[in-house]
Amino acid sequence: MKLSNHTLTNIQRFFVYLFLLILVVITLIPVWLLIVNATRSTLEIQQGISLFPSKYLMTNYKILLSKGLDLPLGFMNSLTIAALTTIITVYFSMLTAYGLVVYNFKGRKTLYNLMLVLVMIPMQLSIIGFYQWMSKLGLTDSYASLILPGIASAGSVFFAKQYLESIMIQDLIDAGRIDGASELSIFHKIMLPIAVPGMFTLGIFAFVASWNNFFNAFILITTRDKYTLPMLIQTLRGDVYRHEYGAIYLGLAASIVPIIIIYFLFSRYIVNGISMGAVKE
Amino acid sequence: MKRLLVILSVILAGSMLLSACATPAAEVEPPAVDQPVAEEPEVEEPVAEEPVVEEPVATEKTVLNVWSFTNEILTMAVAFEKTHPDVDVVYTMIPMTNGEYQTKLLATLGTDDVPDVVALEAAFVKSYVESDFLADIGDLQVYADELKMYPFVYEVGMADGIHKAYAYQATPGALFYRRSLAKEYFGTDDPVEMQEILGDFDKYIAAAEVVKEKSEGNTYMVASNGDFQNLFFANREQPWVVDDKLTVDPMVEKMVETVKIFRDNGYEGRATQWQEGWFAGMNDTLADAEGNPKKVFSYFLPTWGLPYVLEPNSTSADGASTTKGDWAVIEGPLPYQWGGTWLGVMDETSKMDLAKEFIRFCTLDEENLTNWATGVYTNEYLKAIDPNVPDDQYQAAGDFVGSQVVVEKITASFDDSAMSEFLGGQNSYGGFAAAAPSVNARLMQGSDDAIQRALNDPLNSYLEGTITLDEMWALWKDAVRNEFPELIIE
Amino acid sequence: MFKKLKYDHYGYLFVAPFIIGFLIFGLYPVLNTVFLSFTNRTLMARTYEITWFKNFQLLFADKTFLTAVTNTWELWLMNFIPQMGIAFVLSIFFTNLRLKIKGVGIWRMIFYMPNLMMASAIAALFFSLFSYYGPVNQFIVRSGIVAEAIDFIRKPEWMRGLVVFIQWWMWFGQTTILLMAAMTAIPVSLYEAALVDGAGSLQMFWHITLPLIKPVMIYILVTSLVGGMQMFDIPYLLTDGRGSPANSILTNTINMYMKFHSSKGHIGAASAVGLVVFLMTSIVALLIFFLLREKHEEPVRNGK
Repeated sequence: MKLSNHTLTNIQRFFVYLFLLILVVITLIPVWLLIVNATRSTLEIQQGISLFPSKYLMTNYKILLSKGLDLPLGFMNSLTIAALTTIITVYFSMLTAYGLVVYNFKGRKTLYNLMLVLVMIPMQLSIIGFYQWMSKLGLTDSYASLILPGIASAGSVFFAKQYLESIMIQDLIDAGRIDGASELSIFHKIMLPIAVPGMFTLGIFAFVASWNNFFNAFILITTRDKYTLPMLIQTLRGDVYRHEYGAIYLGLAASIVPIIIIYFLFSRYIVNGISMGAVKE
Repeated sequence: MKRLLVILSVILAGSMLLSACATPAAEVEPPAVDQPVAEEPEVEEPVAEEPVVEEPVATEKTVLNVWSFTNEILTMAVAFEKTHPDVDVVYTMIPMTNGEYQTKLLATLGTDDVPDVVALEAAFVKSYVESDFLADIGDLQVYADELKMYPFVYEVGMADGIHKAYAYQATPGALFYRRSLAKEYFGTDDPVEMQEILGDFDKYIAAAEVVKEKSEGNTYMVASNGDFQNLFFANREQPWVVDDKLTVDPMVEKMVETVKIFRDNGYEGRATQWQEGWFAGMNDTLADAEGNPKKVFSYFLPTWGLPYVLEPNSTSADGASTTKGDWAVIEGPLPYQWGGTWLGVMDETSKMDLAKEFIRFCTLDEENLTNWATGVYTNEYLKAIDPNVPDDQYQAAGDFVGSQVVVEKITASFDDSAMSEFLGGQNSYGGFAAAAPSVNARLMQGSDDAIQRALNDPLNSYLEGTITLDEMWALWKDAVRNEFPELIIE
Repeated sequence: MFKKLKYDHYGYLFVAPFIIGFLIFGLYPVLNTVFLSFTNRTLMARTYEITWFKNFQLLFADKTFLTAVTNTWELWLMNFIPQMGIAFVLSIFFTNLRLKIKGVGIWRMIFYMPNLMMASAIAALFFSLFSYYGPVNQFIVRSGIVAEAIDFIRKPEWMRGLVVFIQWWMWFGQTTILLMAAMTAIPVSLYEAALVDGAGSLQMFWHITLPLIKPVMIYILVTSLVGGMQMFDIPYLLTDGRGSPANSILTNTINMYMKFHSSKGHIGAASAVGLVVFLMTSIVALLIFFLLREKHEEPVRNGK
């Protein structure tokens, strides 16, 4: 009987792999098409789609350069913004969530409920109001307006709170207090190290969101030297009657690669144990 | 749950109260005249704009902020710096492919970050001209009169009799047709005779039938029904909005009829403008889904359509198929205009005189316009003024400018141009010059673009046969009502 | 045991940055939006008046608005349910000890990739793929599947299908990651104990797995709902920005965008839409929380 069980499992496994492969093909075809387009000329692209790469990669690259686009600068800008936003978001979300989880202060429930509600505000609309407000504060055209709002990211706090609730160990906190540590240093020295896996997960999502957030950066930043990579790529669409599609696709492909690398590097840290409060042993 | 609802309502009530006190004043006040430059003093200039200055210590150059959605005007900005060395033009290009340019501009209205000079495309120029935010630059009209600017060009830039925008180009529309096909179906490819044959819309429809018959259905009169719309809209007697009421001019109904005729009879290729099928027809690689080759007899395109759309796409990507030299241009059945870029000054600017001078230079200066149209602004020329100009920045000859004086002066120089070769020896400039005077833009309104675009979708459904004509109008009115809450719609 | 009360007020310290950050960056736009929804402000004019509930009246009488709301719900549900479905299936495959699927990390990374793409590129690609003269049409006609080319872009059902597919494609990877993380948090000992008690696979799934991943599922559900109610990029970029054909993919946010993007920039009316969407989302989300809540309410003291 052991033999047939084993075979049964193998058959199941076969079908699972088959299913996975089909899914991968569906997942990757559009990505492949995008990359292929990066190697084709504008005329080719305008006149159709192809599964096979063509020979215009270098041409497109030269076009990108000839437009005077400082791609490395745009890349650094995107990286800076995304990295800073991620760090700020993760840190302050953890901080706030810690406060909500560990301390029972008056208004705690209210604040938490308010935060849930904040998650639901539509972005596109508030952007104009946000811009005009930033203008009054004199913060337009500066990265501060993109990074600092990360301090009050309701969605991240939501996630962090659920996460902390499941991994929090009160005894450790008590022990820290016995040792005379201040509350803040308990947070930094005891809690944060335990929460690293969750922080990485939150961090990756925050990073991707910031990197791909074209719209906000676009409305708020005006000076070209401060453009993010997606914004630079968008300027290729500027010649209304003369889109250089080949170069655009190359640029798009180029802006995806860093993210993939970052994700690959950090994906091993994605926690294999987010239970968000369900499991208490 | 109940507690939460209470909390929510308290927050809402509180915020309403707070905002009643804390909101910006109902009037948005323009900043005081002597306020400093809109951007921070240590503005990092975009790559292109390091002006060539001999003295290492620059005397405080006046900064002029110009926003546009293409790099075209950058050429003029550089030329401007040559004749105005004490000015530093900070040029910002923001694409408008998905409306980004308009959104960004909207966000800055009334704030300090507003640019000094803005470029405005045909689709939204009138909204801005009608708004409260563009400055009156009517004292430039005297130059427009001197240069005999085509009326429709400056009419677009006017609202309530006040001039707020001018343009360097004129964009009359024309009809391009295939010479070889014309010979085959009509026995001639001569523009004068073709203009007779296609001189008004009824004749055009009749010609479509001829084309279909003689080609046994393998040649379409046009690739897309989108080609027509500009024509009909430009020839209405009434604007869309009269006294806040939505009015449907009979020309619009005629357009719907015509489009239906074309669809039902197979005169058009069902392509969408700016998509593969539309382009394929330009180089004879159009094929229907089964692979049968099809041809397209004519395209309605404006002046810029020739160098930017038709010519580049007249050869297929692999070079195998080309229609170069096989085209000719005529006025077509109806005069119309399509696209174009206007320049205006934002009211909030602190450099009104300089801004006006910039606009005068770009749009109403004879030398600049001549240089622009005859290709004097090559990359070398521009780089000599400012070495940081990108390598692909230049203005090729052939753009149709808005001044009749300049046009008459330079038309002959295009007899041997590349574009004329493309048209089998016909002088393209001359072709446009013939079309320009009859164009009329008096009826243009800011809401036109949205109202007209709202018709596309119901129209297509009607053509597909999925809805009736009445349903189409109803759907369209609903869409317009959605976008224009203050319009009265029957 | 320390007196908790002595430390509780530290809570204020920890949440202070958030509150300050919100007051500086978050409050003004929210208040501004609420205020604007009661005016007839347009961006092109310098003056405006308070019109109280007029915007809302017009809104609810407007068929287009109701279409937008219905569409948004439908598009979200059609995308979300399969998303959860696939995410579940994948998570189960990947965490199943018996099957021992190899290379889980790599599979996961591949499935997450669509999330990293820019919506505008995807929309442009799909638009090309499905246009009247595009490759999909060429393929289905030449291989004989259909007799005549289908004008996908002009057919409501197809466009909706495309939007739903793209949204699904872009997000199922992330959902899988979250679900997997939740499932692997469940201690194996629970399953082992259940096996000893004679429980079958299905029972284990129903009684152990599902309840224990509930918090994650709630998180996914709510965040997906919020995102879904504001679905904009793909439907906007896939067609001409108006939710054609026949308003079939007109969503709330597109509706809102159209109002403030049309010639005069009706930001008052647009804000009204935004406010209504916000209220609608909040009510549904709160309902979800209420129905699915855990029974414990106090802060966790002894989680281990």
